[in-house]
Amino acid sequence: MNERVIPWQPTVIAGPKQALLVTPETAKMMMKKAKRPLLVIGPLAKEEPLLTHSIEIAEKWDLPVVTTADTFKIFSERNVETKSYGTVEILNLLKDPEWKGVRGEGQHDLVIFIGGIYYMASQGLSTLKHFAPHLKTLTLCKYFHSNADASFPNMNDEEWSKYLEKMKLN
Amino acid sequence: MAPKPKELKADFWKTKDFKISIGDIVSEEGIESTDESSVVMGPTQKPNVTDLRSWDMKLLERYPPFYSPFCDMCCLCTYGKCDLLNKRGACGIDAETQQARTILLACCIGSAAHSGHARHLVEYLIDKKGEDFPIDLGMDIDIEAPIMRTLIGKKPKVLGDLKEALDYLEEQMVHLLSACHTGQEGNSKDFESKALHAGLMDNLGKEVGDIAQIVALDLPKGDPEAPLVELGVGTIDREKPVILCIGHNVAPGAGIMDYLEDQDLEDDLEVCGICCAAIDITRYNHNAKIVGPISKQLKFIRSGVADVIVVDEQCIRTDVLEEAKKNNAAVIATTDKMCLGLPDKTNEDADKIVSELINKQIDGALILDPDKVGEVATKVAMRTSGERSKVQVLPDMDEVVELAKKCTECEWCDRVCPNSLPMMDAVVSTAEGDISKMEELYNNDVCYSCGRCEQECPRDIPIISMMAKIGETDLENQKYNVRAGRGPVQDVEVRRVGAPIVLGDIPGVIAFVGCTNYPDGGEEVAKMAEEFLERNYIVVTTGCGAMTLGEYRDEEGNTLYERYSGSFDAKGLVNMGSCVSNAHIPGVAIKIANIFAKKPLEGNFEEIADYILNRVGACGVAWGAYSQKAAAIATGVNRWGIPVVVGPQASKYRRLFLGRTDKEDSWRINDLRKHTEIAGEPAPEHLLYAAETIGEATVMTAKLCIRPNDTSKGRQLKLNHYIDLHKKYFGTLPNDIYKFVRVEKDIPITYKRDVMQILEENNWEPRELPQEPSLMDMKGD
Ligand code: SF4
Ligand code: SF4
Ligand code: SF4
Repeated sequence: MNERVIPWQPTVIAGPKQALLVTPETAKMMMKKAKRPLLVIGPLAKEEPLLTHSIEIAEKWDLPVVTTADTFKIFSERNVETKSYGTVEILNLLKDPEWKGVRGEGQHDLVIFIGGIYYMASQGLSTLKHFAPHLKTLTLCKYFHSNADASFPNMNDEEWSKYLEKMKLN
Repeated sequence: MAPKPKELKADFWKTKDFKISIGDIVSEEGIESTDESSVVMGPTQKPNVTDLRSWDMKLLERYPPFYSPFCDMCCLCTYGKCDLLNKRGACGIDAETQQARTILLACCIGSAAHSGHARHLVEYLIDKKGEDFPIDLGMDIDIEAPIMRTLIGKKPKVLGDLKEALDYLEEQMVHLLSACHTGQEGNSKDFESKALHAGLMDNLGKEVGDIAQIVALDLPKGDPEAPLVELGVGTIDREKPVILCIGHNVAPGAGIMDYLEDQDLEDDLEVCGICCAAIDITRYNHNAKIVGPISKQLKFIRSGVADVIVVDEQCIRTDVLEEAKKNNAAVIATTDKMCLGLPDKTNEDADKIVSELINKQIDGALILDPDKVGEVATKVAMRTSGERSKVQVLPDMDEVVELAKKCTECEWCDRVCPNSLPMMDAVVSTAEGDISKMEELYNNDVCYSCGRCEQECPRDIPIISMMAKIGETDLENQKYNVRAGRGPVQDVEVRRVGAPIVLGDIPGVIAFVGCTNYPDGGEEVAKMAEEFLERNYIVVTTGCGAMTLGEYRDEEGNTLYERYSGSFDAKGLVNMGSCVSNAHIPGVAIKIANIFAKKPLEGNFEEIADYILNRVGACGVAWGAYSQKAAAIATGVNRWGIPVVVGPQASKYRRLFLGRTDKEDSWRINDLRKHTEIAGEPAPEHLLYAAETIGEATVMTAKLCIRPNDTSKGRQLKLNHYIDLHKKYFGTLPNDIYKFVRVEKDIPITYKRDVMQILEENNWEPRELPQEPSLMDMKGD
């Protein structure tokens, strides 16, 4: 079990605070509780199976979606509406408590990440951990992200796929 | 307060032989300032740490620092460790300020590395050529040291004059480094201002270093037709004795080349290099060869091709001695920066050192005399090469497969890889006899051979040696070339392109710089350069970046250097040289301000930087930045008003400078012509931006070339490229395009209808075009 909660890149350990390990059930609870959640999808989701998984999760929970890097293209080809921002641009907005969010309804209170490059996502999560106390972060990647508030554990593809399938159920 | 612009005659820079009568210049015997008899010194000659603070605060207001802590803790003093997550340390510092402090520290380290290098060069070259050796860059370069002129306020005429700049920056560096001490600065923006100063000192140190070596060693002086030199592991003739130079200081390599020439041995040995030492040795002597960038280092050392490894300073593997021992190569350390615990043999008789090295009485030698290095390295290589060639250093292919079979698929190699590369898959496939995945990692330096995977492997599988062996199966194809570093841009070139750049007719100057710590190998960077060259941008490059651009061939087998001219002009690919030659990048922007716009340089940093920020569409790309030097370089050019796009790894530098387009007030500018403040535009939108993919980086780079000063014609061109590239990588027109359209005439004809639609959706109204956009003399200044 311990293996599963050592950050995927072990040297990412930043200090005493570590993410809470979550199952799909807890992750869904967090999403249900959130008033203004946001899904941020990174470039690893340009490929299958993550592309379909992330589209279906977004649809299931009616999440506003931000795509980072050039991930926007494939989503728009799939007729999925997303807002395109650079990773660092969206993080910069998320850390500002005054920002009105992608729907203009107010700053988000839960940001769910999937498909970011591990080390860059880890740095971004650190930004939010330190400078965005107004929101919580949750990662649905295959890797344990210790800088998030809540993260899936390190998993193999098969187990991860099961986790993501569960995210599409109530 | 801005300095008053002064009237300049057209022949300002042509006036020769004058006397100066300002400040401390008169008291400096033998040093004249500039070629002007009555130069009015601007407000900031030899600026101290706080003298440019007001400019920094303007930049930081518009581009506030964005922090990504790499670590929650601080362990710099014995009050600590302190956990700074949402709390302060025992000294009172908070996380944001601590990040800025770490950035300052990184910039100080990087800046000191360049300036220490410059100090070495200047002292060595003065020793060789004399204090009075003239600084003459030829007929076409009058403004030979634009950074020094701006900061020191003087034109260096002889080598000895360069010492004044070094004395100045060394003093500044002491103050900057001291600010990192516990209980000094307590504000993140002030730390950033100091980091910007450290970056500026970096730029100055590099300029001093490169000018010294160009003039004293007769390197190319801005020659657009500098020769093509050989590059690539496959270009090294393994039958000959091989001397490998690693690092950045040209002196030992030059010593070797001189010795070979004196002894008429040039055809008998191979001298090659890795990193900037390679670039500079080939600027000195085109017979030397470039193995490649830093990412080749461990692979190439492991291959055992080098009989002697000469190391100087910066970016050298600190385990080079252990690695060399594995294959019986001799190591010679040559500077005070890296002594490796070796005995100092500087004053020993050369033949005695040779015999001690050959007989393994010593592990290696520290020789602080470049000429002696030349003799010892040559003799050792010649005498050991024959015997060494019989030693098998890499496992043979059968062994490679057997070693791969030891893999238990624990996945730790992947997990510790800084780049999350699929090394385990490559090892597993190799065990099955399929080397293609390992080749994919080897090619283009997708794996930059840092060796962390191998260190971690619980089965002690020599992953890098295996990869080096697999790479050797295809040596024939690893032959490329690069145009020898030409040094600065000529004044005549600036006269030719100054107007098109400032008005926007040449859509931008893009600088590919930095290390090969790429997320997905070098080819995508070369293709990005090709993309901009095809679009009429000027592409400049230095260091490992310059090598990366040379390692890519098109379908006809030509490298970018064979396809594009070396002129500083539209579609020109300009290799300026090594890391220290990076100084010529802000240098050319400064020259544009001076030659084209007649802005005085001396003591006039702020006006020049303001000009560059608002009018010179230049952007740096450091896709693989890794070191503290890269942090200092980027921070320095940022202070001059040049934005930089970095790769995803650079998020680990902890700090970016990001603008906010939704904060309209932050983009206000002063139109100096009309003396009125007007609404501006987010141009350039960011000052230091980390992109996640090359597509994102390409589009952002095009966008960051937009400047408030563009004419409508120029703006059309720039927006056309921005839209084209956005369509290519994102599939649509950029939805922020309306922010960059000031009047209808700015809209590219081909996209008129689509753009108009976006304008309507955003209730766009035409805006005034500024005539002299500036951040100076704003309300509240
Ligand atoms: S320098 Fe400050 S934050 Fe760092 S360990 Fe010392 S007291 Fe703690
Ligand atoms: S050598 Fe470094 S970059 Fe290459 S696979 Fe190993 S850990 Fe990754
Ligand atoms: S660390 Fe070694 S044993 Fe583990 S997967 Fe990688 S190569 Fe195999």
